[in-house]
Amino acid sequence: MSIFKIIRRSALLAAVFLCLTLGAGCSNNPYPPPLQENGADGSPWKVRYGALPEDPRSLDPQVCYDSVGKRVIEPVQECLLEYHPFKTDPYELQGCLLEALPERITGEGGKTSFRCTLKQGILFHDDPCFPDGKGREVVAADVQFAFQRIADPKVECPALSTLQDYVQGLSEAFEAARKSGQFDYSRAISGLQVTGKYTFEIHLTQVYPQLLYWLAMPFTAPVAREAVEYYDGKVHDGIARDLFRFHPVGTGPFRISEWKRNTRIRFVRNPNYRTTTFPTGGWDPARESELAPLAGRALPLVDEVCMTIFRESIPIFLLFRQGYLDAMGVGKDAFSSLITPSRDLSEKYKERGVALHRDTEPSTYYMSLNMQDPVLGPNRKLRQALSAAFNTPTYLDIFYNGVPIVAQQLLPPGIAGHKKDFRNPYGYNLEKAKALLAEAGYPNGRDASGKVLELTLDTSGGSADERLGAEFEQRQFEQLGLRVKVVENPFARLMEKLDQGSFQIAAGSGWGADYPDPENFLFLYYSKNIPPAGKNASRYNSPEYDALFDQMATMENGLKREELVSRMNALLAEDVPHILLMHRSLFSLSQPWAPRIQSNPMLEGGLKYAVLDPRNREELQNQWNRKPLWPIWLLLFIFAAASVAGIRAYRSN
Amino acid sequence: MFSYLLRRILFFVPIVAGVMLLTFALFFMVQSPKAMAHRVLGPKATPKAVELWLHNRGYDKPLLINRIPEQPWYDSLFISQMRRLATFDLGSSDVTGRPLAEVFRQGALPSLLLTVPAFLAGLVMSVGLALYLVFIRNAAADFIASLLCVALMSVPVMVYVIFGQYLVAQVFNYFPAFGFQLNGWSTAKFLLLPIALMIVSGLGADVRLFRALFLEELGQDYIRTARAKGVSSAVVLMGHVFKNGLINLITLVVASLPFLIMGSLLLENFFGIPGLGNVLFTAIQLPDFAVVQASVFLGSLLYLGGLLLTDVCYAWADPRIRLH
Amino acid sequence: MTTSSQDWLNQSFLPIWLPNLAVLLGALLVALLVWQGNRSERWAVAWRRLRGDRLGQVAGAIAALFLVVGALETVVYPTDTGSRTVLQLLLSGIPQEKGYSAPLATHALSVSDPKPLLKRHILGTDALGRDTLVQTLRATRSALWIGGLTSLVYIPLGVLLGILAAYYRGWVDDVVQYLYSTIAAVPEILMLVAILMVLGKGLGTMAIALGITGWVGMARLIRGEALRQMERPYVAAAKALGQSDWRILTRHLLPNVMHLIVIKFVLGFSGLVLAEAVLSYLGVGAPVGTPSWGAIIDASRSELSRDPLVWWNLAAASAALFLLVLSLNILGDALRRAFDPKSNS
Repeated sequence: MSIFKIIRRSALLAAVFLCLTLGAGCSNNPYPPPLQENGADGSPWKVRYGALPEDPRSLDPQVCYDSVGKRVIEPVQECLLEYHPFKTDPYELQGCLLEALPERITGEGGKTSFRCTLKQGILFHDDPCFPDGKGREVVAADVQFAFQRIADPKVECPALSTLQDYVQGLSEAFEAARKSGQFDYSRAISGLQVTGKYTFEIHLTQVYPQLLYWLAMPFTAPVAREAVEYYDGKVHDGIARDLFRFHPVGTGPFRISEWKRNTRIRFVRNPNYRTTTFPTGGWDPARESELAPLAGRALPLVDEVCMTIFRESIPIFLLFRQGYLDAMGVGKDAFSSLITPSRDLSEKYKERGVALHRDTEPSTYYMSLNMQDPVLGPNRKLRQALSAAFNTPTYLDIFYNGVPIVAQQLLPPGIAGHKKDFRNPYGYNLEKAKALLAEAGYPNGRDASGKVLELTLDTSGGSADERLGAEFEQRQFEQLGLRVKVVENPFARLMEKLDQGSFQIAAGSGWGADYPDPENFLFLYYSKNIPPAGKNASRYNSPEYDALFDQMATMENGLKREELVSRMNALLAEDVPHILLMHRSLFSLSQPWAPRIQSNPMLEGGLKYAVLDPRNREELQNQWNRKPLWPIWLLLFIFAAASVAGIRAYRSN
Repeated sequence: MFSYLLRRILFFVPIVAGVMLLTFALFFMVQSPKAMAHRVLGPKATPKAVELWLHNRGYDKPLLINRIPEQPWYDSLFISQMRRLATFDLGSSDVTGRPLAEVFRQGALPSLLLTVPAFLAGLVMSVGLALYLVFIRNAAADFIASLLCVALMSVPVMVYVIFGQYLVAQVFNYFPAFGFQLNGWSTAKFLLLPIALMIVSGLGADVRLFRALFLEELGQDYIRTARAKGVSSAVVLMGHVFKNGLINLITLVVASLPFLIMGSLLLENFFGIPGLGNVLFTAIQLPDFAVVQASVFLGSLLYLGGLLLTDVCYAWADPRIRLH
Repeated sequence: MTTSSQDWLNQSFLPIWLPNLAVLLGALLVALLVWQGNRSERWAVAWRRLRGDRLGQVAGAIAALFLVVGALETVVYPTDTGSRTVLQLLLSGIPQEKGYSAPLATHALSVSDPKPLLKRHILGTDALGRDTLVQTLRATRSALWIGGLTSLVYIPLGVLLGILAAYYRGWVDDVVQYLYSTIAAVPEILMLVAILMVLGKGLGTMAIALGITGWVGMARLIRGEALRQMERPYVAAAKALGQSDWRILTRHLLPNVMHLIVIKFVLGFSGLVLAEAVLSYLGVGAPVGTPSWGAIIDASRSELSRDPLVWWNLAAASAALFLLVLSLNILGDALRRAFDPKSNS
C-alpha cells in the first residue's frame, strides 16, 4: 500500500468519523432519559439532578454513618422521629414514623422510659421480599428487630458503643452473641418492650434525654425482617440477590430504582408514600409568600432524583454551568469565579437567576495538643503560646476563601451553650504568643541552655492542599523561633497515632454534631473518654471538668445548664488542649428552576421538600448550550493543510 | 513449542506466589490492620468498634504463620487468603462487602471501551508519524518534531484533561462534559473526548519511541544493500523498514495489551467512566486490602499472560526464533 | 524568603556538611568519568563526534546549567537562624507576599481586597505568596536529586544483576529472571506508594522506591547485550587465556556495555523527572518544605479552574521541566549517535 493511499484513506475515515460523532453528539446532556414522560395526572415528570462524591459504602440503616451514605438513605429510609425542616434555632424534633414525640415516664428508682406509638397504615416499599411483592404495614416488632440488629456483632452498628450504655439489655445481647458466635433473634432486647401492635416502650439504665436524637437517626429505624433475610447476596433459583446493605427496603418518599456503581443512583417516588405532608408553618416570616402555597401538600414534590457520582470536583462546576445540575456546593476551585470580593454572587450568575446560600455546619475543627506529652502536657503557657501564634483568619482566607467562622469555643453556633460574644483568650496575637512562650521557659523558642525547642506536627498528608496547609501550619509556630518537624501520615496512621497518644500536635481534628446537644461536643474532653474508651485524643483530664460534665450531660436545656457549659468552656479555654480553627461554613448555589426550600443542617438534603420547574429548566438549558461551528472548519482546515504539506514533502523528496 | 509453553506457565506459579507475598508484606508494613479499620470506620469510630470490625474480617489472626498453641499453624491471614485465591475466589471488598468478581466484571467493559480505541488509534497515528519522520529525513523537521514530542510529553496529563474538558465540552458544547451510559452507538459521545485526550497525551513518547525503532532498522546492513541496489526509498521504507520494525513493534504492543483492561485513573475520574482505572488506587488509599490483593493477583496474571503472548508472537513473526 | 527549616532529603538530623560533600563528590565523579573516558579509544571517538554536534552541545550546556542551579540549592552553610542554601542567600532579596499575584503585577490577586505588593515578581507568586521564579529554581534540586540518586540505586543494581546473569547463566540467571519478573508483575503504583509510605516521604526515599522498581528494565537491557557480547570471540579468548571471572567482567564485558548505560542514564533521567510529577499527584511526592516541579504542577490543578486563571505556576514549572527533559533527550540522542559505530558521517 502506498503512502498516498494511507493518507487518503485516513482522511476519508476521519471525515466519516467526524460526521458520525457530530450526529451522535447532537446533545451534550449526560443523563439517561427520565423513567417516565408524564406523571399519573398528566403533569410533567419532575427529575432533580444532584451530585455525590462516591458510592455509598452501606445503606443498611443500622450501619450507615458516613455522610454519603446518610444522604442516599434519607430519602429511602424514614426514622422514628425527624427534624422540623425550618425550625433550626433551636432545633426541633417531630414525629415521623411515630405519631408524636415519645412520652417520658419516670419509674421507680428514677429509671426513665419512653413510651412510643407508631403511625398506623404506613407501608414498606413494594418489594419482591414481601408476599406478592406488596409492602406490608410497619409494626412495633420491626423496631424490636432494628434494636436486635444494633446489638448483633455481625451487623457492626456504630451506634452500639454509645447506646449500650443507656438502653437496657443491648450490651448483654451483644456479649451473648459474641460468646456463642450467633445472635439469637428469638430473644427480645429487654430495653425495648413491645406493648401492642403499634406501641412500644424503651427502657433506659440511666437518665438520657439525648435518646430522642438517636430516634431521629436511621440506626433505630424499623426494618422488615423479610428484607434482611431475602437479600442475602446468594443465588436463588438462578437469580443472584443483592446484599441487604445495597438494597434497603424502607418506608421513605423515594425508593432506589437503579444503582450503577461508580456512575449514578436513581430514585423514583414511592407510590405508597403518605407518612408526612409539607409543614404548615415554622418558617421565617420573610419566606411566607414563597412557602405558604406549599403548606399541606403531599410529599415528595418531585418524581425522580438522579444522583451522579463525581470523583473530581471540577466537572461538577462544568455541569452546573451547563444547567445539568440543579445545585452545587462552591468549592475552592470555582470560588473566585462565582463569588465577588464582597462575598456576593458574581453578576454573570446573578443574571442567570442563580441563588447563593451560606450554611454553617454544626461542627468544630481544631488541632489536638497531647496533654500527656512530656513537653506540652505540663506546660500550659506553652500550649497557650502555640494557640496564640496561629493566625487562624489568614489560614481560613487562604484555604477556605475566608468563608468559615473562626472558632472561639468548642461549641458551634446553634448548639445550646454557644456564646456569641465569647472570645478565645488565646486567639491569634503574635506579641502575646511570644510573651507567653518566654513565660513558658522558652524565650525566642530556646530553652535555658539555649537549645531550640523542637516540636512535631502530625498531619494527614497527600494532596497538594494538605501539603500547602502543613507548610502554613509549620510557619505559624516557627514564627516564635522554635522548630517544627512535619510528619505527613496517611489518614489511617494519623487516627492510630491519635488513639495511641503518640503525637505532640495533630492537625486535622474535628467533630461534626451527631445531634444538636452540647453533650455531643463536650464529651470529647471527658476523662473517661480517653482512648481506648472514647475519642478524647488530647487526653485532657480535669476532675473539675469531669464533675461539671457529669452534672450537665443529662440535664434539660435551660439557664442552669448554660451556666455549667460556660464554666466548662472557660476551663477548656484556659487549659488549651487544642488550637481552635473554625466552624465550617459553605457556600452553595441553586438554579432558578430549583429554588432551595430548606437548609436544616441536621437533615441530609431533605429531598422530600425539594421542588422543580422542569419547563423553565429545559428552556434555559437550550439557551446555555449553543454549539458554534467554527472549530469544525478550523479542524478541517488544519487537517487539509497538513495533508497537502505532507504530499508536497513526499513529492520533493 | 507446547512443552515450552507448559514450562513457562509452571514457572509462573512461583512468580505469582512471590508477587502475592510481596504485596502482603508491602501492604501490612504500610497499614496495620488496625489502621485500616480506622480509615474505613471513619474518625468517629470508637476503639471497640475497630476491634469488632477486625474480628469479623479475620484480621485479628496472625499475619503469616500461626504460632498460637493449639491452633493449626496454617490458620493465618496470609495462608488462608492464598488458599482462597488459588481457587480463583476473589472474595469481597473489606469496605463495602461487594463481591469482587462482580466489581471487576462490571468495570472491565467501560475501561476497554476507553483504552482499546485510544490504543489502536494512538498506535496508528504514532507509527504513521514516525514513519513520516524517518521517511523525509530532514534535519529541521526532525528537530521540530522532537521539540513537539518532548513538549507533548512534558505537559502533565492533568493539564490536557482540564483544558480539553473545558474547551470541547464547555465552550463548544459538542459532547457531554461528564458521564457514561452504555447504549449502543450513543455511548460514543461520552468516550470521544477522553479517547482523544488519551491519544494526545501518549503521542509524544510513542512517536519518539517508534522513530528510534525505525531509525535503528534503517541503519541495518540489508537496508544499505537494498539502497545500493537502487531500490526506491518508498519501497525501502514500506517493504523493509516497516516490515522488519514490525517485529519489535508487535512485541511492544502485545506486552501492553493486557494492561488495557486496567483503564486510566485520571481520565476515568475526570469523565466519570465507571472503569477499573481507579480500583487499585482507591483501594490503596482507602485502604481496602481485599481489593488490593485481588487486583494485584489479576494484574500479575495479566502481566505474565502478556509475557507469554510476546514469546509466541516473536516466534510467529520471526521464523528464525524457536521456542524451546 | 520563607524561614521554614531547610530539610535535606527530609532528614533534619543529617549533619549540614553532608550535602556539601555530596556535591563535591558528584563533581569529582563527573571529572573522573570524563578523564577515564578520554583514555578509551571508543570514548575518544565519541567525544570527537560530540564536539562536532552543535545541537548536542547546546543541550549539554543547558543540562549543565540546571546542574549548577541544583548544586547551588544543595550547598548549605549555617547562619544563626538555621542553615540556608547558597541559592536561597543569592535570592534572599525577594520578599514574600500574602497570596497569589500575577506576573509583574503591582497588586495581589486577592478575594477580599487586592493589597499592594512589596515588590514586582517576574513570574508572580503562589498561594502562600512565594515568588514563582524562586520556587521553580529551587525545585531544580528535587528533580536533579531524584534523577541522580535514583540512577545511583538502579544502575549499579541493574548492571550488576544483568551482567552476572548473562555471564554465569544457569541458576544465577534463573534467580535474576525470577526477581525481575516478580517485581515487574507487582503494579508499579502499589510498589511506589507502599515503599514511600513505609520509608516516609523524602527525596532519598523516593529515589530508593523508584530505584527498586526501575532496575528491572536496566537488568533486562544489560543481560541481553551482555549475552550478545558473550558470543563474541574476545570473551572466549580471554577465558582461554585463563583470565579470572572478575577481570573478564570488569575489563571486557563492562566496557562493552558502558555506552548503553550512559545513554540509558541520560534518557532515564528525564523519565524520572517526569515520574516525580506523577508521584505528586498520587500524594507521595516531595515532602513538605521541599519545592518540586511535581508539587507545583499538582497544586496548579485547582488553580486552572480559578477565575481569573492562575497559570503562571504551572507555566513556570512545566517550562523548566520541558527545558530539562528536552535538553536531556537531545543530549541522549547526540550520545547515541556519537557512540554508534555505524554512523561515520
